[in-house]
Amino acid sequence: MLQINKTVANGKAVFALEGRLDTVTAPEMESAMQEVLPELTSLTLDFAGLEYISSAGLRVLLAAQKAMNVKGEMRVKNVSKAIMEIFEITGFSDVLTIE
Amino acid sequence: MKENNYSAVTVRLSGRIDSGNAAQTEQLMLEQLKDSDNGSAVILDAEDLAYISSAGLRVVLRLKKSYPDLKIINVNPEVYEILEMTGFTEMMTVEKAYRVVSVEGCEVIGEGFNGKVYRIDKDNVVKTYKNADALAEIQHEREVARLALILGVPTAISYDVVRVGDSYGSVFELLNARSFSKILASEPERFDWCVAEYIKMLKAIHAIEVPAGKLPSIKRKTLTGISRMKDTVPDGLGDKLLAMAEAIPESDHMIHGDYHTKNIVLAGDEVLVIDMDTLSVGHPIFDLVRMYNAYVGYSEYDPDIVLSFQGYGADIARRFWHDSLAAYLHTKDEEKIKAVDEKVRCLSYGCLIDWSIRHTDPDSEKDKATRALWMTRLAEILKRTDSLDFEIPDTQKSDPDELDIEAATENLEKVMDFVNSHLDTVNCPAKARMQLDLAVEEIFVNIARYAYAPEKGNATIKVEVLNDPVTVTITFMDRGVPYDPLKKENPDVTLCAEEREIGGLGIFMTKKVMDDVYYEYRDGQNILTLKKVL
Repeated sequence: MLQINKTVANGKAVFALEGRLDTVTAPEMESAMQEVLPELTSLTLDFAGLEYISSAGLRVLLAAQKAMNVKGEMRVKNVSKAIMEIFEITGFSDVLTIE
Repeated sequence: MKENNYSAVTVRLSGRIDSGNAAQTEQLMLEQLKDSDNGSAVILDAEDLAYISSAGLRVVLRLKKSYPDLKIINVNPEVYEILEMTGFTEMMTVEKAYRVVSVEGCEVIGEGFNGKVYRIDKDNVVKTYKNADALAEIQHEREVARLALILGVPTAISYDVVRVGDSYGSVFELLNARSFSKILASEPERFDWCVAEYIKMLKAIHAIEVPAGKLPSIKRKTLTGISRMKDTVPDGLGDKLLAMAEAIPESDHMIHGDYHTKNIVLAGDEVLVIDMDTLSVGHPIFDLVRMYNAYVGYSEYDPDIVLSFQGYGADIARRFWHDSLAAYLHTKDEEKIKAVDEKVRCLSYGCLIDWSIRHTDPDSEKDKATRALWMTRLAEILKRTDSLDFEIPDTQKSDPDELDIEAATENLEKVMDFVNSHLDTVNCPAKARMQLDLAVEEIFVNIARYAYAPEKGNATIKVEVLNDPVTVTITFMDRGVPYDPLKKENPDVTLCAEEREIGGLGIFMTKKVMDDVYYEYRDGQNILTLKKVL
């Protein structure tokens, strides 16, 4: 289960995620982002409510990072200890801008 | 200073015996013994003896030649050390002086059939014995407790024997110990915790193989009781009971013999089992029989009995028995629980009736009514029971459980729920649970996407939880294309976003967060095993 709370204004978006970003929910996240991605210059992902992420979720993050690298910036904030560990294992801690 | 006691003569020694007075002392002793036969037992009471030199020891040796049964009692620690150093403790019976302990006004923390347990200070308890032959009993209990400890049972061993009034007691160090009976009575919210710890300990005891000849067989003892009472059972059912009891397989595994909540204590944060004097070997049913009696059997006619003995009510006791049996059998299947419950009760009623005939007033109306109730229930169950043996769950691990399901990503949640239902049975930290979730997802999704594509097929997932240390093993089996995911090269995790290929990350993470991952192809199946130590 994943809940996505979007706030989009003036080319800036904040996605606050709650729940699990896994094989089942990653497609929802992907389509939610694709809707707004073309018009964005700044994307913030708030992971305060994110409990779990698998490689399917990482795939979505990488695609978003690649897209935003071309035209702006992407930041990830409020990453839990457990998810930070996954980022470190996979080298995503260097790929993403984590606050 | 001489006491004639049957054929034993007691001579009291006092002060110091050294070269200065040895000859004189010998003279005095022989004087006192001159009326007794050479064969009499001579007891030297050393309560007031402060010191003995080698000259004094030679006197004792000469005396021992004439009176081979000589023994020295009430020896103070200094004199005992001399006797031990010189080897006298090996040559003759030497009994130490016992410290005198008063239990007046002390809190009673336990009471069994054989005596009471008092707390004498914050860290120490003394167990007193009613029987006249207390010293032999204490000695026996110390020996079996030591054996149990060496074989791996967490227990307390008494470190001192003391005098308590006219009898003896053994002293145990038990820091802030509280029995499970006390916990159940005062903290009902810890009921499930008590059941889990209680059964964990019981399984650990039953897993221990005891070297031959070290402990008595509990089956033999039970058969003696059943043989005594069998003719009181109507319709020849007593013979059936005895035959079924005889057919219970022999076992050299440890049995506690009196395993109820008063004998399990929480000392600090350690769970200990005490009261080891009934330690035996045998089939686990014999421990279950005594458990049933403690919680249900004795109080089946009068429910107040369990309240006065355990400190909690009959409803809690009955539930504790049921939940403990379920945990022991590792099942929630009420049919299975009931089947074993009835086998246990066959022997329970047999033992209870035998006990009641021998130990209660034959004219008491209440005891008659109690026996009648047990007898009715025994006969009823015996009619439909043909064997007392049952499948003993492996004491080391829980039953492996399998889920056979179509390998499709839509089924991921079902697979997760299945795995998590097993993790719920152990204390799995949140982090390990997330790591296990991650590994299960990655592996199952891989199978779902690639094993049978473009066709469909099933995967079997098996979860096993082993104890000491708690280890979770999850095995995935599929009959798809032979493929070893572990052979896939690890992704380069140092590349920047633009250079990163997404792929292989799932397997890579799985390997990182599990303690062991291995693959084999056998009998047409891909078999991938994950292992995580909690």
